[in-house]
This record gives sequence, structure tokens and C-alpha cells, in this order.
Amino acid sequence: MTVEPHRLALQRAPAARETRHRVATWLRANMVLLLIVPTLVFLGCFLVAPYLNMLVMSFRNPSTTSVFAPGYTVANYGKALTDPYYLGVLAQTIEFGIVTTAICATIGYPVAYHLARTRSRFKGLLYVGILSPLLVGVVVRCYGWIILLANNGLINNGVKKLGLFPHGLMLMYNAFGVGVGLVHVFLPFMILPILSSIQSIDPALEEAAQSLGASRTRVMLRVVIPLSLPGIQAGSILVFVLTISAYVIPILLGALKIKIMPTLVIQLLIDAFLWPFGAALAFILAASGAAVVYIFIRVTGRLMKGLT
Amino acid sequence: MTTLTISGLTKRFGEVTAVDDLSLEIAEGELVSLLGPSGCGKTTTLRSIAGFVQPDAGAILFDGIDITSFAPERRNIGMVFQNYALFPHMTVRENLRFGLEMRRIGRKEMAERIGKVLDIVQLAGLEDRYPRQLSGGQQQRVALARSLVIEPRVLLLDEPLTNLDAKLREEMRFFIRSLQKRVGITTVYVTHDQAEAMVISDRIVVMFNGRIRQLGDATEIYSHPVSREVADFIGLSNFIDGRVKARTGDDRYAVETPLGEIWCRSVLTLPVGNPATVVVRPESIELKREPSNDGNVNSIAGRVRDRFYLGNIAGYRVVCADGSVIQVQEEPWHASAVSDQVWCVFAGDLAWIIRQ
Repeated sequence: MTVEPHRLALQRAPAARETRHRVATWLRANMVLLLIVPTLVFLGCFLVAPYLNMLVMSFRNPSTTSVFAPGYTVANYGKALTDPYYLGVLAQTIEFGIVTTAICATIGYPVAYHLARTRSRFKGLLYVGILSPLLVGVVVRCYGWIILLANNGLINNGVKKLGLFPHGLMLMYNAFGVGVGLVHVFLPFMILPILSSIQSIDPALEEAAQSLGASRTRVMLRVVIPLSLPGIQAGSILVFVLTISAYVIPILLGALKIKIMPTLVIQLLIDAFLWPFGAALAFILAASGAAVVYIFIRVTGRLMKGLT
Repeated sequence: MTTLTISGLTKRFGEVTAVDDLSLEIAEGELVSLLGPSGCGKTTTLRSIAGFVQPDAGAILFDGIDITSFAPERRNIGMVFQNYALFPHMTVRENLRFGLEMRRIGRKEMAERIGKVLDIVQLAGLEDRYPRQLSGGQQQRVALARSLVIEPRVLLLDEPLTNLDAKLREEMRFFIRSLQKRVGITTVYVTHDQAEAMVISDRIVVMFNGRIRQLGDATEIYSHPVSREVADFIGLSNFIDGRVKARTGDDRYAVETPLGEIWCRSVLTLPVGNPATVVVRPESIELKREPSNDGNVNSIAGRVRDRFYLGNIAGYRVVCADGSVIQVQEEPWHASAVSDQVWCVFAGDLAWIIRQ
């Protein structure tokens, strides 16, 4: 029944009809693509557009009287990449990211392994424990650490009372304090990917290695860790990227005593009002982070050659 | 060459006793199968020998030396797992090298040994493949090679053929058997497949509920089962309950049953009047038109209820006077038809008594 008008239309305007028909077929076949339109619009408005705006900003001429002066320049990048001060902060940021990642991996791996292999009734509780840092807001969590780590905080009062360190310990406003805060909250991002990759390793492989004469340590080094590299890789990338872009925790626990890029960028934008230069620094940080991640993927990728 | 002794092995998991006071001696170069249904404790026994399970009581001895407290890596065993457990991130060569590296074997000897063992399992040329690039049968042989290349004292096989297709499985039985004979290694083989156990083993251990129910070669286990459980697990059986009527020789008995008097054999000493069950294998019975007039041959009257044809045999289910059913396997060309009146005829030598 419905075929009839169809055919009539074809007779009337064959070419137009054919085009419309093709579009309709394509739409019907790819209707599912419509589902991503809201996401694309959202990302376009709130991610891509601001980034493009920032990118343009980073090439603007600086001005003392307005946000930027007319004309374009690459001087912002030139200054950032030649001034030893900014390069030093960049290096320190990357180093800080690498160290935090390494600490998270070292602490997180045994936890992930245990959780992957345990048959305990309290497994669910362990999961909650691991996710607990994420259940508390960042500011509250930091004030918790401040109560513990401050110069007149719980720990310092304790050790002073016990007479261990009469002058107290410097636990905050340095890399240690910031590191503690970051490791605490980023640990789940390391543990969960490693956990899932260990869960996918057949426990019989460990037994096979043992039966062939490998000690527990050798089993870990030769079988379990190599096979869980994908998880270590994913977790490390997450923690590294989050660390080098962290702002709130370094501000609250480091109070600008520790120089890293995000705090510096915000300082330039808000305090010094140097928007073009701040934007350039932000892009340099992003590019450097991406470069480190790229190198890391290449290196670990070589180690995982047999896995895929 | 190693003698393996298991003495009083006991392992409990909570309320369940997986292995219950199991003792077993395995001679140098012997292949012994642990055969039983799942949950009978055969795998737990194997894992205790490997050291992955710490027994609650009892001991494992290699050549008389107690190794119960040794960690698995210090036992010098070769183990083949049901799913092969090949290291997926290593090539065939690296898989084989793993155990040798743990033993700090020199480079030259390593290469020699790997070459030799790859020849034995017919995998030469595949050294640089990853496990996922191999077929199931090839993976199986790599697993065998990996456990043999370290020249272990004892080889442990945990249902190694379960994941292969039926055809390959039968082939591999002979392959493993001849390989084991060639290498001459003391071997424990866990399986739930009776045919596999019968083809491959020097001796078979039939296990139920963590205990050894019977120990013997394939012929003994099949022809002279000690209990209904064993007879039922291994092959098809007819069970006819009755009472001992007379003992007519050292191992000859007459048993009074609802189907009449049956002549049979037993190594058990059974007093007259004792309850007893007669076991007859379906293939031991012939279907005849007339009862036999030989005094040593039993004849039971019945009517054919079902007939089925399997190509190599013709199967029958015969209903007897008391309503019980006797299963019979005849030559495929045997031509009794459904509802024929027949005689189930079997020699007294082929009937076997077990305790009730």
C-alpha cells in the first residue's frame, strides 16, 4: 500500500527522489549516531571552544591596561621556554608527577594484588576502603590532613609530647605534605586498573611458574607484574596527568611554598593578570604532560609486546 | 627416577574432608591415574603432591624423603594444568626456558635441552610463536614440553586432555603414554574419564569421597570391581541382589536371586546365607533362543523391551520375570527384536560378586 505514492514520487522527480531516498537510507542505518549529538554539542561549547579561545589568547600581545593588546606574537612561548625559572618549575612539576605516580604504583600494587586474589568475606569492605578518599570532598579531605600535619597538628603535638623531636617535624608546606595529599586521593586511580588486570590473570599461571621452580618473588617479577602491565600503564597515566594538573591540594597543603605549574598559572592569571602568558604556560604544561605520557606509552608498549 | 609415597594424606576444607587418610605408593617410572567423579579428592591429592595444598595430616615422600613442608618451587616437579597455563607473554622458547632459568642452567645446555624436548613433542619450528598463535593440541604439547624440559622427579597431570576435542583427545592419550614410557618418569595423572585412565595407566586409583576405593590395573578394575560404586562408575553394569547359597570352590559361589540361581566368582570369603550382589557387564551376556545346558553357564529368561544400534554394538534392555531390567550388548548383527522372548546367557566366570 505504501509503495504506491513512493513510486509516483519517483516518476515525478527521479533525481531528487533518489537523493532524498539515499539520505533517508543513510539516516536509518546511522540513526544511532544521533545519540552522540548532545555530547558533541556539550563538548564543543564547553571544552573545545574554551580551549580554542585559550590557544588564541596564548598568542596575544600582553597589555598592562587590558586583557590583551592588539596583534599576535610568539613571545609568550619564547619567554616561557627560555626563562630558567619557568623551565625549572616545569621540570619540578613533571618530576613531582613522576614521583607521585611511582609512589602510588608501589603502594597500590600490593593492595590491588591482594584484593584481586583474596576470597575474604570483607572484600566489599576493602573496596569501600580503597574508594573512601573519593567519597570526601577535596577541601574537607585537605583540612583533615592539615589537622594531622600542621606545625601544631596532631602528629607534631604527639612527637613533641613524647620528646622525640623537640622542634617538631616539617610535615606541611613542602613537597612531603602535598605528596601525601595527592597520593591519598589518587591511589584509587592506580589500584582499580591494576586490580582489574590482575583479576584477568589465571592463578594457574602463578602455580605453573612455582612448579617450574620460581620463588614467590620471581613469580611476581616474571609473571604477575609483566602480565598486569596494561593496568599499571593505565593507572600511571591517570595518576600522572591528575598530579601535574592538581591545584587545590598543592594550594592547601603546600601554600605556594612548592612551585608547580598549575599554581603558577593561576597566580599569573588571577594575581598578575597576565592572561596571554598564563595561557601559554598552561599549553606548555599540557604539551609536556602529553609528551611524557607518549614516551611512557612507547616504553611500556615495548614491554607489553607479547600481550596483545 | 623417583618413588613417590603418599602416607595418610588428609585435607579438610571447612566441614568437607576432601582427602581422607589416603596412602599410596607409586613406583619408579610408573604412571598411576587418580580416577573419580568431581569432588572425590583427586585434584586435591595432586595439588598436595605439587605443594599447592598443605595437607592437614600425612606426608608426601620422594624416594623416602619427606617433602611435605617443601614449597612447590623446591619440589622439582613438572605439572601440566587443565588449561595448560602457558605464559601468554612469552614465546614457546621463553616458556620452555623459564624453568631452566630458575635452575640457572647454562646457555648451551639450555638450547640443547629445549631442542631435544621440542623434538620429542614434535613442535620444532614453532619456538618463536606465542601461545595464542598455537592450536589447542599444540599448546597442550608445549605445556608437556615445559614440564619435562626441567627433568623433574615427578610429572603431575591435572586433567590435561579435558579441553581438547574428542578425536585429538584419543590421539593424545597414546602420545602421552608413549612419551611417559620413553622418558621413564614417575607420573600421577588425574582424570574423570575412565577410558582415558584405562588407556594411559599402569595402575588406576578409583577414588570416592576422598578415599581410595580400588587400586589395580585396568583389567582388575573393570572385571573385578570391589564395590557397586566402582562398578557403576567404570562402564555399564547389571546388578542382581541375592544371597549366597553355596560355595562350590575356592572362588566359586552359587547365589540365590529373584531371577534364579546364579553361578559366579569372587575373591571375597562370603559365608552361606550372606547377602551379596552379582555384577555382570552387558557385553558378557549373550541373547539366545534357548537356555544353556552347560552347568557353569547362567541363563535368565526375559523379554526384549528396547533395542538400539550403535554401529559397533547392538544394545538391548531385557525385562525379567520380577520386572528388573538387564542391559545387554550384542554383536551389531544380532537380530533379536523388541518383545522377543529370550534367554540372557552368561558364563559363571564372567559374573562377579560384591558385598551389598
